Amino acid sequence: MTALLLGALGLTLSLVVPGILANAHWPDRAPAAAVALWQSITLTGVLAAIGVVLVAPYELTRAAGSGKPVASAALIGALAVAALIILRLLISLYGVTRRSRARRARHRLLVDLLDRAEQHRELGPDHLRVLDGALPLAYCVPGREPRVVLSHGVLQVLDRAQIDAVLAHEQTHLRHRHEVVMESFTAFYRAVPGPLRSRKPLEAVHLLLEMIADDAARRRAGAGPLRAALERLTDAIPLAEDVKPDPAGEARRRRLERLAASHTRSVALSTVAAAGAVGLLVLPTVILVLPWLDRALDAWPL
Amino acid sequence: MALGDLEREVMTQLWDAGEPLTVRQVHERLSRQRDLAYTTVMTVLDRLAKKGVVQQQKADRAYKYAPTQSREEMTASVMLDALTASDDQDAALAYFVGQLPPEALAAAIEAVQKKR
Ligand SMILES: [Zn+2]
Repeated sequence: MTALLLGALGLTLSLVVPGILANAHWPDRAPAAAVALWQSITLTGVLAAIGVVLVAPYELTRAAGSGKPVASAALIGALAVAALIILRLLISLYGVTRRSRARRARHRLLVDLLDRAEQHRELGPDHLRVLDGALPLAYCVPGREPRVVLSHGVLQVLDRAQIDAVLAHEQTHLRHRHEVVMESFTAFYRAVPGPLRSRKPLEAVHLLLEMIADDAARRRAGAGPLRAALERLTDAIPLAEDVKPDPAGEARRRRLERLAASHTRSVALSTVAAAGAVGLLVLPTVILVLPWLDRALDAWPL
Repeated sequence: MALGDLEREVMTQLWDAGEPLTVRQVHERLSRQRDLAYTTVMTVLDRLAKKGVVQQQKADRAYKYAPTQSREEMTASVMLDALTASDDQDAALAYFVGQLPPEALAAAIEAVQKKR
């Protein structure tokens, strides 16, 4: 019975809930808590899967009235499968982290060499790099030695206040180590077997992290300059409209919308979402797993 | 002077020269602005060669150094890398705006560079 419930919970969390949460609009008003909720959903899904693997053999052998040797073999098999699941997740995380680091290190090396230092002495941060090129482009390279990179085009199309807004946005990604969050979701995505995996959590969390950075930039530099910067960086990319429907168009619209004056962050929503995140992680353990452990430890043949 | 700044200035000299330079030539060009040991320039060129951004060629019994890519090529490939998510979206970089499909971006960079 416990195995069935855990299985149902795991399937709901990995197949049903992500679709609903990804299409919801309330996370726009409580992005940080929504990221926590996504993390909790993902982690609880993994724990439920491991729970099924551990509990199901016990329940099946008991229902079938198998003897001690069969039950012991089932337990060993269950532990092996659970270890395999955890190992797969860890290997995926290791791979994603290593590849990201290598890519960033190479990227950092190149922007350091290409930097037009003379163009940004007065703009501030030490780790700012400016590249040639009229294509307006702004991004950051996270890591222990982070960089914020602007193209020369950004300096041409944005005024000082708008540039400060962009810098504040990028600094937030770096300071809050957003890349670690993205890496963990990427690692999870890659560890899940093909037919079950979904990009929804990955994409939703990415957008939420952008919103968190927008909120910080808005506090530092004002909503107006940030909004203008977002619009200009978007509009100024030539040929963009020739492209098949831009996958980020919807995301951009949502980010711009929440920078309108009427849009405010909601403390109540944040509290509810954060409580949901904690509850999701704690409650299944308390309601399902603990009573089962209690019974299993009494009856277990070892 | 920080090593990073020195590497950048050596690269700038090589890019501006438009032809392979010997260590001596790079040293001469940099020495116009400041005092710099010949061996320092040699070390920096060696490091850049190890990183694969500079190529060492033997010509007339002297080693000459040239960038493996022009500044424009390297800039374009860096931007392309920044805007192109790898297949599995490795989360390596964070972007201010969303990503463009790579072929659109390549076209965009090309269009912008022609305009200049
Ligand atoms: Zn961002």
